[in-house]
Amino acid sequence: MSNSPIIRRRVDPRAERAARTVLTGPRPRLLRQPVAPTTINERRRDPRALRTAALVQHLPRPRYDWTRDAASPGTAAPAGVAVTAAPAIPLRVIAEPAYLVLAMLDRPGGEVSEHDRQVIAAARLLADGADAGGGGAVVTVATGSGAALAEAGSDRHVALPEGWADDYVPERRAAAASALMAALSPRHILFPDSPDGADVARRVAAAAGERLFTGVQSLSPDRATRQSSGGSLETGHRPTRLMTVAADAFAPLDGVRHEARPLDLATPMVAGEEVLPRLGGARRLAVDPDALALSEADFILSAGNGVTDWQSFAELGEALGATRAGSRVVCDAGHLPRERQVGASGTVVSARCYLAFGIAGAPQHLQGITGVKHVIAINTDLHAEMIKRADLSIVADAQDVMPALIRLIRERRND
Amino acid sequence: MTEAVLSNVAVLLSIGRHPVSGRARRGATDAQALEMALALRPRRLTAIHAGPAADADALRAYLGMGLERLTVLVLPDGADPVEALIAHLRRLAPSLVLTGRQAEDGEGSGMLPYLIARGLDAAMVPDVVRVGPADASDATPGKAAIVQALPRGQRRALTVSGRLVATVHPSAPPARASAFGPARRGVIEPVAVPVTVEVTADLFLSECEHRPWRPKPKLMRVKRGGSALDRLRAATESKSGKGQLLVNPTAEAGALAIYDSLVEQGMLP
Repeated sequence: MSNSPIIRRRVDPRAERAARTVLTGPRPRLLRQPVAPTTINERRRDPRALRTAALVQHLPRPRYDWTRDAASPGTAAPAGVAVTAAPAIPLRVIAEPAYLVLAMLDRPGGEVSEHDRQVIAAARLLADGADAGGGGAVVTVATGSGAALAEAGSDRHVALPEGWADDYVPERRAAAASALMAALSPRHILFPDSPDGADVARRVAAAAGERLFTGVQSLSPDRATRQSSGGSLETGHRPTRLMTVAADAFAPLDGVRHEARPLDLATPMVAGEEVLPRLGGARRLAVDPDALALSEADFILSAGNGVTDWQSFAELGEALGATRAGSRVVCDAGHLPRERQVGASGTVVSARCYLAFGIAGAPQHLQGITGVKHVIAINTDLHAEMIKRADLSIVADAQDVMPALIRLIRERRND
Repeated sequence: MTEAVLSNVAVLLSIGRHPVSGRARRGATDAQALEMALALRPRRLTAIHAGPAADADALRAYLGMGLERLTVLVLPDGADPVEALIAHLRRLAPSLVLTGRQAEDGEGSGMLPYLIARGLDAAMVPDVVRVGPADASDATPGKAAIVQALPRGQRRALTVSGRLVATVHPSAPPARASAFGPARRGVIEPVAVPVTVEVTADLFLSECEHRPWRPKPKLMRVKRGGSALDRLRAATESKSGKGQLLVNPTAEAGALAIYDSLVEQGMLP
């Protein structure tokens, strides 16, 4: 027994009892279980503590973020800090491209559209594809400078003449594309499948005598698919040289930075200017905004139950040049025709700007304006849902604001 | 002279496919192209279909719109109609060729009008909603005035000189209904393809593999980067309470705020 190293723990029943006592006095209360030892085992995980550390939102239902550092529970950074503290996106340079993929962008009105970004993303799939060897470079061709395209994933940029941005010159654009095709001999040329982009693509394909794979829905270096037979079949083929990319088929790139180095080439301009255009005298026609379908309208002036001055509403619509619309209540009451109703039981609109007078914002109405970019709401109720949804909310009576806005527009127009 | 521009019109008609039942029918934009051609009241109107002469019923729907005869260029199944059409149109020498945007059946690449315009050395205008002789103020004879449909309901006016191939946009005037009597009485006139034209099968299409289309998941605009919390917020929370709020301003102040916001959005000059 003398060589046994076992140390037996001394039991002190009084001390244990004292530790279990929670209420002293005439009727002492004791805990049943012995109290846990005060020292914490480092290797033991505490699931409750981890769970509370991962909790980011209590209501309406708990949400957990398990990607945080589990080793330091409770020290999570507050929201928003992570984005600002993120390191700068590294610049990716493709110095010696193995081959080129051309992306002919629309850039309507000088802005890089969502569809243009998607086309660049599709071009990157072909340029970086592992099956094709990778190492290809994406060359964007558009009016304007390439600075805005670096973050969309463009390696090189060929600038078309500035004057082409606003004019309708499909023949010149097609000639420029054909000239670039001859000068750079790219492996693929992608166009957006937008009305103007697809038009240029078909002109190029007809001139080159090559097959155009239109409306590409999925793309990999060895296979491209599109819809055919009126949308009932999927047709697959290996990627052809000329393709148009369907809208909303590819996610635009995010978190990449390429150099978008300008390529100084005179060929596209020369080829474009040489063409004697047959189409001429292009000009936009004034369109009656109230004749437009609501789903097509770009700027909507909408009335709800809070509008009683219909004369001013009509005048305001005319002064703004906006398409008039209304909520369900207004259309039920007969102030506006049924096809002017916005909402779940009317039309789901995708306007760029929505100016709402006296609309409280029923869920069905908010559902109808989910696709709207900029909402301006005028309502007497500060707590209306529409006020929360709007980008500019004004708590005022529509009957006062409408005449004031009409006066202001007329004043500014006369200046 | 302006009359001469649009006096000889050819319409290219295809057999459409109903999007739900898959039945053969008159093509939607092809019928609109025929409607546009009929409304022009040309001195000579030729309606042409190229393909195997099988679905006569679908073609008779075009005759029911008031056509007296329809030329069918008889081709073997799966043959490329472009060369045959170009050869036939060269003999007719129309000043205006109208057609639909793209076929509702088959490949439907929308290339045919472009290839024909190239073959005829004509100008090509897509998405037309109105064709007419150019205004007197425009002076130059032999020009056609065209209105083109753009996205978001916008319209663009153009003038085109010389021969013209145009495709019709769905927002063009709707096609008239097809009547049964005229559809029975109309004549379908089969024409053999001239021997000089080499009719070839389409090799590209036989290389493609086809399978039934399955709807793809909708592309969601998820913002990548940031923490999981940021992505979660972007995906689940609706944008609320982030806008500018003016409580009980004067009417003038409110109107000015709206005006400035509209100018900033580019809605007002």
